[in-house]
Amino acid sequence: MPKKILFVEDDDNFYNVFSVPLKMKGYDVVHVADGSAAMEKVISEKPDLVLLDIILPGTSGLDILKEIKENQDTKNTKVVMLTNFGNDENINKAMEYGADDYLMKYNVVPSELPEKIGIYLGDTSGSGVKVTE
Amino acid sequence: METYILTIILAETLILFIITLVLFYSLHKISQLKKHEEGLIEEKNKQKDFVPMLVHELRAPLSVIHGASDLLLKEVRNLTAEQIETLLSQIRASSSSMLKMVGDILDVSKMDIGKFEVNITYSNINNVLQEECGYFQSLAKIKGISLDLQVDNNISNSSFDPERIKQVLNNLLSNALKFTPEGGRILVLSKRIGQEIHIEVVDSGNGVPNSEKNLLFQKFSQIKGNNHSKERGTGLGLYISKGIIEAHGGHIWVEDNKPNGAKFVFTLPLL
Repeated sequence: MPKKILFVEDDDNFYNVFSVPLKMKGYDVVHVADGSAAMEKVISEKPDLVLLDIILPGTSGLDILKEIKENQDTKNTKVVMLTNFGNDENINKAMEYGADDYLMKYNVVPSELPEKIGIYLGDTSGSGVKVTE
Repeated sequence: METYILTIILAETLILFIITLVLFYSLHKISQLKKHEEGLIEEKNKQKDFVPMLVHELRAPLSVIHGASDLLLKEVRNLTAEQIETLLSQIRASSSSMLKMVGDILDVSKMDIGKFEVNITYSNINNVLQEECGYFQSLAKIKGISLDLQVDNNISNSSFDPERIKQVLNNLLSNALKFTPEGGRILVLSKRIGQEIHIEVVDSGNGVPNSEKNLLFQKFSQIKGNNHSKERGTGLGLYISKGIIEAHGGHIWVEDNKPNGAKFVFTLPLL
């Protein structure tokens, strides 16, 4: 059974490009654009990993992350932040809330994304590097 | 003697009145200068915030263009025709969005030095509305929003710059789409009122708070619809729209749409 990734991203252009290599690698990719619907999807879809943007309509990615990690049913779900906001405050908060990694969108090319998140899915030796601006 | 005293009292009253007037005028001037200074500081602060914001706004489409082209170069043999088409479409959409941003910055710089000009031709505003609404209807449908157009057929041809008016409509309709929730409604109307054309773009979103109505058409202003919303942009769209409409001799403003939403109105003289 393919591993499932929940891609929380409200920029459709970004999702349409960055989801391609994940699908090519055989992951089952579920997309949600609205922050307020993300937690519901985490519970119903039970993804192995959540790729999470920070600035989202409805609920911010940091609030979603906190909720995932505080919920007994979802706290073990891997969460990788994927955002263009690389300020220390956001990075520190994400780490404090339990994010598994923090990737900057402009530092990641789509073809590298499966490798970067693969480590958290036990698939490859991903980078695991915390990227700062 | 009484006349003499009365004259002195009158003279003193007059002097006191003049001194009060001068004092009042001076205080008014000082307050005006202070306001002007505060305005300049605010403008400077907004300009300071503008560069990091612009960098962020440009990074989003650039990440997509860079990512899609990288993927095409590395994986072209493994991609399906449909995936290649999707990636190319994203490159086009993102580069268009960047071109718009660059165009906006150029417009603002021309407006700032008084060099902004419109290219007036003789056209029918209803045709322009139909064209723009047709384009936005497909986008609205994707978001589950209805977009309707009601035109006043009494409006004949008039003198305006169709491309620039399209730009204004594009800004207003983009904003309406951003701030109208799924299941909402956008209505575009044209009306002839006396010797003016009134165009209204009405949405059923959250509306604009009274405290923000006057600031909305200033440079770098943003509608604070949703704190977490990514839909922020450069904050130049409404400032440019105002510049375009005023270059036509018209006006633009925002009203409340009862019971909820915003109504943006602009006028064009019927020439």
